[in-house]
Amino acid sequence: MGTTVMIVDDSFFMRNILRGILNEKGYTVVAEAASGIEAMKYLHDRKPDIIILDIILPDSNGLDLLESTLRTHPLAKVVICSGIGQEPVIQKALAHGAKAFIQKPFTPEKVIEVLTSLEG
Amino acid sequence: MDMSQYRDLFVSESQNHIRAFNDLIVQLESNSADSSIINELFRHAHSLKGMAATMQFDPVALLAHAMEDLLSKVRNEEFTLSPVIVDLLLEGSDALGVMISMIESGDSDLPDGADLAKRLAGFTPGSTPPPVPSPETAPEPVPPIPADTDPTPDRRGQATPGQHQFRQSDSFKSIRVRTEILDRLVNITGELITTRHHLADQAQNCPEARLDEPLGKLSVLLRELRDEVFRARMLPFSFIAERFPRLVRDLARKQGKEINLNIEGKNIELDRGILEEMTEPLVHILRNAVDHGIELPDERLAAGKPLGSEIRISVTRDKDHVNIVVSDDGRGMNPERLITKAVEKGIITRAQAGEMTPEEAFMLVCAPGFSTAETVSDVSGRGVGMDAVRSAVHNLGGKLAIKSESGQGSSFNLKLPISVSIINALLVECGKLIVAFPVNAIDRALELRSNDIKEEEGQIVCAMGTKSFPLKSLNHLLGQATPPGGAACAPAIVTSISGVPVGLLTDRILGQREIFVKPLGNPLARMHAITGGAIMGDGSIVFVLDVSALA
Repeated sequence: MGTTVMIVDDSFFMRNILRGILNEKGYTVVAEAASGIEAMKYLHDRKPDIIILDIILPDSNGLDLLESTLRTHPLAKVVICSGIGQEPVIQKALAHGAKAFIQKPFTPEKVIEVLTSLEG
Repeated sequence: MDMSQYRDLFVSESQNHIRAFNDLIVQLESNSADSSIINELFRHAHSLKGMAATMQFDPVALLAHAMEDLLSKVRNEEFTLSPVIVDLLLEGSDALGVMISMIESGDSDLPDGADLAKRLAGFTPGSTPPPVPSPETAPEPVPPIPADTDPTPDRRGQATPGQHQFRQSDSFKSIRVRTEILDRLVNITGELITTRHHLADQAQNCPEARLDEPLGKLSVLLRELRDEVFRARMLPFSFIAERFPRLVRDLARKQGKEINLNIEGKNIELDRGILEEMTEPLVHILRNAVDHGIELPDERLAAGKPLGSEIRISVTRDKDHVNIVVSDDGRGMNPERLITKAVEKGIITRAQAGEMTPEEAFMLVCAPGFSTAETVSDVSGRGVGMDAVRSAVHNLGGKLAIKSESGQGSSFNLKLPISVSIINALLVECGKLIVAFPVNAIDRALELRSNDIKEEEGQIVCAMGTKSFPLKSLNHLLGQATPPGGAACAPAIVTSISGVPVGLLTDRILGQREIFVKPLGNPLARMHAITGGAIMGDGSIVFVLDVSALA
């Protein structure tokens, strides 16, 4: 199994696109979560190497989720994925342990570039 | 990467966002203090923007972005929410809905939403509000349904033919299935039930084959299969009700009325076919309630009623039925005036008019030709499309009842079966025909002795029990020969038409059976009182009759 990834995004559409990009490049998507609660559930038993985290979710504040994620699974590399206009939150997330961010809209190349940069 | 493979998914998810957005924004208007609603609205606009940008549908992304911006200003309390902002946001979501529909139909030449986006972005509380028709701008045509609120509720579930057979939905545990596949499953289940009847008929002729036990088991399994297939087709009422608050709001605002729409029982589930058939009738009833039921503010004040009026939709489940009641606290209907008008229009005779109960009088609004669009008064207008409403309800095997209290309001009660297609029916022999009546439509079946049948005022009546009720010959109604008289007893089925019991005399009652009703094609579908056909185990065809249309 290659690098394992969990995608946390409330949009099924977005998760699909991300999964498509990741699968093509040999990443293994071990979990997809549409909410903070789901994310925490998968986090325990799947221990993904990388977590792609949408900062705006229906049930949680992205920053809180980042914090509890890192508490549960400190080795996870969290990549924030968010749209234009969320820069202040992204800054905070990076200061609180997120490793990188992907800005929506993204190209497949950009996603892979960001993920590759984590491996060094 | 080829993004076109994600188009269907994009369209369906976008439509969900827009639908939720519209629903929330109307809620917000009546509850502007609720910051969680603003957050939700913001999230929908934000998600839509991100998705559209990913798909490179730039006009969609631009517009969603402007809406998100305006919402964030409201969230940060830069301005307080006003009807003007709500109108702007609704205009935005309408425009988004149009764009998404275009994308769905493969039209990539999207309109440029820049002007609207500019108005959204440049909004300040002092800026000129968009034109809103004042209540004085008569005559008021019924506005078309906005393009984003598609009247067919299952449209987003349908993939373009030849494309994805099914789509994975929001969790690994559920999948999206095209509605045609569900229809086919019902069809196959129905055919299986028919085949079982055939098998059971054959088995009776050869008892040595000992088929009773496996046939019994087959029946149980078929019933389970039927229930599961039906369950898969069930959708909550909210699926069609989401657009009602918006509809009522827009109509009310145009007429200068203040109406609060309350929907109870949104989560109660019905077959999607029934929901689909009921969408337009419910829209009709709601429109009528706004147009004619609810008074103008002056009239309410004069009547000592609160300015804010209410329309309530309540959905409740009762065994294998669902009751949908639409009630308003408006001016109500006056039975005498309805009767007078019906006599004037030649719908009923003066003699009939004298015997009408108020309940029967209210049902006059469903008589074809009772009302015309150009008459506007407190008793008219209700008739617009009400005959269509009644026949839609009857065709589904349901019942419509109307109650009204002058000055207090009216209520329209739709009693509907939970699912269609496979129904319990009473089979009746009538001349050369075998016909089926939905069991739900029948009050009881009787064997009448000759002394139960009397003649009163030139009418044949059944004088059994305390109250006599009229009897009609089914043979006569269906153009069948009447059997030679002298039979010791005559079977009759009793039904009620607009609340009044009526007995239908027939040759023989064959018994109850589960049948699979298929719609009839043209020209048979145009036949009066026949709602469908079913194939029996021996290959013969029975017609399913609409009792209320018969008498």
